[in-house]
Amino acid sequence: MTGMNTQSSETAAGQSPDQSAMSKSRVLEADKSCSVPVMFLLTWALAWLVGGGILAVVSSIKLHGPGFLAGSAWLTYGRVQPASIHALLYGFGFQAAIAVGLWMIARLGQAELMGRKGILLGGAFWNLGVCLGVFGILGGAGTGHPMLEMPGFVSPLLLVSYSLMGVWALITLHFRQVRSLYVSQWYLLAALFWFPWIFIAAQSSLVFHPVRGALQFVISSWYGHAVVALWLVPVALAVLFYFIPKLLGRPLHSKHLATFGFWTMALFAGWGGVQAGAPVPRWISSVCIVGGGLMLLPLIAVGMNWWFTARGAKPAQGDFVWGFIRFAAVAFFAAMLLDIGGRTRVIGEVTDLTVFSSGVYALYFYGVFGMSIAGAVYYLVPKITQTEWPSAQLIRWHYLGSMVGTVLITAALVVGGVIQGLRLNNADIAFVDALAKTVPFLGLSTLGGLILVAANVAFLLNLVRLLTVCCRCCCCLPWNGTANGNKAAAVGANL
Amino acid sequence: MKPDRNKKKTSGGPANPSAPTTKRSTPAAGGSKRGSRGNSEDSEPTAGSEPVPVWLFVLMALMLYSGMSYLHTYGGGFNPKVYENFRSYKLVDSANPKSGPEMLIAKGEALYMVCAACHQVNGMGVAGQFPPLMGSEWVNEPNPARLIRIPLHGLSGPMQVKGQDWNSSMAALGSALSAEDIAAILSYIRQAWGNTAGPVTPAEVEAVIADTSSRSMDGSRPWTASELMSIEVAQ
Ligand code: HEC
Repeated sequence: MTGMNTQSSETAAGQSPDQSAMSKSRVLEADKSCSVPVMFLLTWALAWLVGGGILAVVSSIKLHGPGFLAGSAWLTYGRVQPASIHALLYGFGFQAAIAVGLWMIARLGQAELMGRKGILLGGAFWNLGVCLGVFGILGGAGTGHPMLEMPGFVSPLLLVSYSLMGVWALITLHFRQVRSLYVSQWYLLAALFWFPWIFIAAQSSLVFHPVRGALQFVISSWYGHAVVALWLVPVALAVLFYFIPKLLGRPLHSKHLATFGFWTMALFAGWGGVQAGAPVPRWISSVCIVGGGLMLLPLIAVGMNWWFTARGAKPAQGDFVWGFIRFAAVAFFAAMLLDIGGRTRVIGEVTDLTVFSSGVYALYFYGVFGMSIAGAVYYLVPKITQTEWPSAQLIRWHYLGSMVGTVLITAALVVGGVIQGLRLNNADIAFVDALAKTVPFLGLSTLGGLILVAANVAFLLNLVRLLTVCCRCCCCLPWNGTANGNKAAAVGANL
Repeated sequence: MKPDRNKKKTSGGPANPSAPTTKRSTPAAGGSKRGSRGNSEDSEPTAGSEPVPVWLFVLMALMLYSGMSYLHTYGGGFNPKVYENFRSYKLVDSANPKSGPEMLIAKGEALYMVCAACHQVNGMGVAGQFPPLMGSEWVNEPNPARLIRIPLHGLSGPMQVKGQDWNSSMAALGSALSAEDIAAILSYIRQAWGNTAGPVTPAEVEAVIADTSSRSMDGSRPWTASELMSIEVAQ
């Protein structure tokens, strides 16, 4: 990995026309090779995004309307809430990240995606795993560890299918035509290895050989933090580092600054998860506070890099994509600052045990990760399927909806959390009264969740319509005319 | 799975937006402007090579330093027993009830000030005036029966401590200190400064008081070394 800071990342720039034509056709091949597996993963990912979003709304309603759907054990808060997190994180989060990551690795390396059947198989088993997880949790077999709620037997399945997909990402990377690695590839590669590490570490010490008492809390909190800091955020950064210079038609300001940001993040991102005031030895939360402070370093490095890249530039292409990317980039700073601030003892004293942290998570998940993934999807799907998005209107709605929904959820939970915390800390206010004051904020976050679901339905709908258009002209209706026969054969051959 | 085959079949493909239905909505995505942007559109991002500003490294050093001093101050010494409300193990320790001997020793450390006036805080005594308690065979005797008698009734006359001769007198403190205080002080001096004898319980002190009820504690009848040595004690 030491090569990454010494090699320059020149690709198309400065090549002779001949080379550039060659690289262009390699890019095309890379794009097309992705079509089937990436579309498979993306479609399922978006389906989980909508499904998980609905579960999230149900659980959010229960916070202010406890009578809602209270009749069935399957739909109690304690099951719906973790099921929604599970569906969103593993169903959407991981699958979409893998889909976009695979495409970026193929595209940046100008190499065809390898092992497409293996990836499809892995994807199918992954979805099976997520599905078993959701039903297992709803059926009452959840483990009780936040973010790792799926019953124990599901995790090996997830791990194996993850490896089935991840291995081909590595092989594709190995056979890349462009040897130098771009910043996005570092982040993807790192995330690819970080996830199995944190997953195995947490699963084995929580579910298979549970450690004692308070240590379980430390590990599950750390995992909840790490899955954001070492998976969602690096993948989002890979996307943002790819699209910011690309859409602006400029080179990234500095690869050295990017190296600095990458390594400081690699070193310090894992130091977190335990809130000050948690009932565990104090050095653990102190380390998390220091880790938060040190995360200012990558934040500054990434911020400077993007700022000097983007200053005064207008997106040269893809206005829709740019909208999502810009939002995600801004959300990244907001989320990191809220996260780092919320860890300090001064603020943590107030926000601990309130809905504040859910607000920060929502911003990371929908604002940083979801929006950058959406931007990437809007860009890459037309390339790999050779089909335009059927409806610009739906994209507009998705953009507006996810923006409003994300801001609403985050603001409601963050502000509501602070108010809740101030009241909880005030001994003159009864516990119940302190909670009652948060109800309006919880209502607002439900509204935000509903808007997000609507937005994501628009996203899914557009994708499904695109798929029907695409399939009509290639595989599903081969009698549709000879003009598309070639394409059908091409897609078949792509597998 | 055969790349060559694909290459031929799709070579004419890219600029062929598929269905007529898409025309209305072409502005939807960047891909629609294919061609008009020429080469720049699909070129992959590259990175410039501006150096990392020096101040960022300075900042890193500063932050690492302050992170370390934060952990030093607020990390509770990385002690697994130090929880949120306490900054150090010392505070945790002082806020906790003690077990029997530990509590006696902690109490004895404070009460030892009574003896320290003569025997000194470091237990070394003063040459020619006050014998040392550190390493003294009187203090370290496994059975504390003789030792207990010394502060109870006082001590005077010739004696040997650590091979040296002493001939002076020590006042009785039995009327000023309770049985528990004496047990605490003796427990403390028996483990301080490298002494290695076991603690003395208040019950042992009370037993000695009961045995010596005929002797007054006002210092009028101090022990002599030979008297002490003639007492039968189980070793
Ligand atoms: C006023 C000064 C004085 C004070 C106060 C005093 N001692 Fe002594 N202590 C002496 C002297 C002098 C001797 C030697 C007596 C002799 O020579 O017969 C002695 C001897 C002893 C000895 C036996 C010799 C040795 O060094 O082991 C012990 C044990 C002892 N003291 C314990 C104590 C304890 C315990 C206290 C506090 C409760 C105490 N002393 C307070 C002056 C003092």
